[in-house]
Amino acid sequence: MNTLKLLAGASALALAGATALQAQEMLFLAEDVPAGLNYDGPAAAIPTSQTGMVNVMEPLFGYATNPPNESGVITPDFGTFEGRLVESWSYDADTLTWTLNLRQGVQGCDGATFNADDVVYTFARGKSVSGAAPIGWFLSNVASIANFTPAVFGEDAAAKEIGDEVLKVDDYTVTIRQSEPNALFLPVLTIFGLYMFDKELMDANATADDPWAHEYTNNVNVPSFGPYCVESWTKDDEIIFSANEDYYRGAPAIKRVVMKKVPQSSNRVVILRSGQAQLVQGLTPREFDSLRGADGISVGAVSGNENLFVHMNFDVPPFDNPLVRRAVAHSIPTQQIIDNAYFGQATAWKGHVPSSYPGYHESGTQYEYNPDGAKALLAEAGYPDGAGLDAYGEAFQLTYVSEKETTLGPIVNAISTAMREIGFPVTLNPIPQTQYGDRQLVKRDLPFAVNDQEKPIGVDAGYATQLFFVSPESGGLNNMVNYRNADMDAIWAKARVEPDTAMRDGMLAEIQDVLMNDVVWGPVVEYNTQWAFSDSVTGLQWHADNSVRFHDLSIE
Amino acid sequence: MLTRYVFRRVAIGLIQLFGLVIAVFFLIRLLPADPVSRFVGLNSSEEAYAQAERNLGLDRPIMTQLGHYLGVLPGEGEGLLQGSLGTSWVTGTAVSTEIAQALPVTLELLTLAFFFALVLSVPIGMLAAIRPGGAADKGVFVYSLFAGSQPEFWWGLLFVYLFFFTWGVAPAPLGILSPLTSAPPDVTGFVLIDSLLAGRPDVFLEAAHHYMLPVATMVFILSGPIIKMVRQNMVRALGSDFVLYARCAGLPKWRVALYALRAAMAPSMTLIGILYGFMLGGAVLIESVFSLGGLGQYAIRSILAFDYPAIQGVILVITAISLLVYLALDLIHAVIDPRVTF
Repeated sequence: MNTLKLLAGASALALAGATALQAQEMLFLAEDVPAGLNYDGPAAAIPTSQTGMVNVMEPLFGYATNPPNESGVITPDFGTFEGRLVESWSYDADTLTWTLNLRQGVQGCDGATFNADDVVYTFARGKSVSGAAPIGWFLSNVASIANFTPAVFGEDAAAKEIGDEVLKVDDYTVTIRQSEPNALFLPVLTIFGLYMFDKELMDANATADDPWAHEYTNNVNVPSFGPYCVESWTKDDEIIFSANEDYYRGAPAIKRVVMKKVPQSSNRVVILRSGQAQLVQGLTPREFDSLRGADGISVGAVSGNENLFVHMNFDVPPFDNPLVRRAVAHSIPTQQIIDNAYFGQATAWKGHVPSSYPGYHESGTQYEYNPDGAKALLAEAGYPDGAGLDAYGEAFQLTYVSEKETTLGPIVNAISTAMREIGFPVTLNPIPQTQYGDRQLVKRDLPFAVNDQEKPIGVDAGYATQLFFVSPESGGLNNMVNYRNADMDAIWAKARVEPDTAMRDGMLAEIQDVLMNDVVWGPVVEYNTQWAFSDSVTGLQWHADNSVRFHDLSIE
Repeated sequence: MLTRYVFRRVAIGLIQLFGLVIAVFFLIRLLPADPVSRFVGLNSSEEAYAQAERNLGLDRPIMTQLGHYLGVLPGEGEGLLQGSLGTSWVTGTAVSTEIAQALPVTLELLTLAFFFALVLSVPIGMLAAIRPGGAADKGVFVYSLFAGSQPEFWWGLLFVYLFFFTWGVAPAPLGILSPLTSAPPDVTGFVLIDSLLAGRPDVFLEAAHHYMLPVATMVFILSGPIIKMVRQNMVRALGSDFVLYARCAGLPKWRVALYALRAAMAPSMTLIGILYGFMLGGAVLIESVFSLGGLGQYAIRSILAFDYPAIQGVILVITAISLLVYLALDLIHAVIDPRVTF
């Protein structure tokens, strides 16, 4: 017992040291720490890696903010762009060229200074498609930046080199030319996948074998102009950020942030409750709910861009039958899911695009929970009370990500129970995340699934349309349910290059009506993005990538 | 003779390892998922997919991939035969670097846990064996059955709740050191040793404190089967002819007990060795509960991400250590049991 007390004493001393620095430091607990800081690298799709990138790097553009919502979380005003590293900008519709006047006097970590060379370097690196996952190229392509075409993946080395589409005019002026009018240009430049690098430090850490410093950004640091610098980084364990005191938007209030991996969400809860951590993420809805009202703890929630829908593959019978799709949509007990799985932290989703996004349209066609209506539709489809559906037993395996069992388990059980009562022969099929991703994104052979992980990171209904619903033949990218509608593709083709916002929004509304009518996805809920934090933490802001910016925060 | 035996075992071990490498290389490629999909999440165009596939080398014939992995293709850089385990597809870091970071944590945890489990289990097992069917024996029977059947994950969480959150005598489950503590310079990778080498007793005490709960959890679980094994073997040894002879010869009880213990320990050591090898990967739940970032967690992360180089590296390292442990066991057997010769 004496030894125990001695050890407790030693630890208490260490904690006392930590407490003395509390006003300046924050312990942030997450399910993981960044696996890489290279957005063209292998870890770019991992949310915690993105958290590292957005706190160290800086974008050209951002959004203005709205006042805090009822739980104290500040949200972006997606209708108002603000320059970040760009001070002012203009667009010449005749030449499809944007002129960006860059901010002067911007300093990053380790002596990095921002100028036009950094912008050209960033786009050149993207166009080189030299990384494991070329996100910089992808976003530039989505924004119709000239010459960022699939030709870069061919054998022609010249196609991978930056030309006059991104041009340095002088040290603080850059022009970027588009190949066609495209309203996604500014939204795309707010996304982490086109945050700016510091050319000089990147070049200093490049090698003959790795001229774009992928190795360095995967494993050591990413030189940029953000509010924090990487102080130390141990993958799979912790990363420590220290404030960039020269940050052009003002030195961060919190001088040091320790982001620590605590795999068990229940442990993140108890450590937060003990007062040793100030901010946690990645809890289950039940855990967030248990923290509401806890002494000294706040839970911030925002209806951002996270949602859950039922995936039905158009290439797999009987989901090629629109009546069956509608019957399924009417079978989902949405309110039960909101109450029992999300503890009230969700709302019924009435579209195919996050309702917070510009261009969202609530269609007149909706699919409320209606078992009788579902039975009638099923009978109309030729399967009264489900008779004949047993032949499609395999198609009715409701697939979901097994790692998310705690959250998705109650949902898939509610859905399968409700559907079986109507006559659908539903069984459950949990599979690992990677297998799910493979079948969803590459093979596209998942017949029937529940999906809660599609967040269009470009804040625009058009971006979501191109990403998820346009047919592959017309440039669709993640059309996971194999939806093909030539009429909708044609509307999108017009909307994509429509410079008038009102006209474009009208076309996007038309597209969303079509999507609802065809039940391309079975929208279920938009669930809240949540964080739990100490009462002393203020300023929490939601961003579309769902990564916390420590610069937003302060500790009172 | 002993040296020859060791060399023979090591040689056989190397052949086994090579066979395993080949088998694992092909078996993981039968897993029902394509690792490329994880890379292209945001952008799954055909071109991007092909690019990611090329980057991973998965567009090449499988025998070429094997040759690259082994390092036998000219002009293709280092492979396994040159000591390179490849680069992780999740982090872009060398697999050997990541394993070198994770392995000492697991070895330290297991070694401490097995040490204390032995210290606890051997006397308890002996005590129970002295009077089979007695009160102590019944108590030991119930305990060993109970402890051996418990999920360590659940006990870990319970210990965290009680010792850290409720009573405040244990540190938060935040790894080996508090997040704000600067780690000692990395010499051996074992924090307890490195802290002493660096002359940092404060860090040593803190690390020991952080190991307290995970080790206690493991001891609680491991001691069940070890006690049972020691007790069974002691009962058998105490009933054997040589013990009867020792008693007849009038030797003191403690000396008789020591003779019996020596005989009982040989089979017990086998169990401990098997358990140690098993727990190299099986400690994942304890590592996860206490955020220790050991080899088990690394293995699980690699498997879930279909990170082929990391999976191959972990299996290779765990197998190599297990082979070494089994070799050490055989040598210990020879020391304990004079009938064993090489």
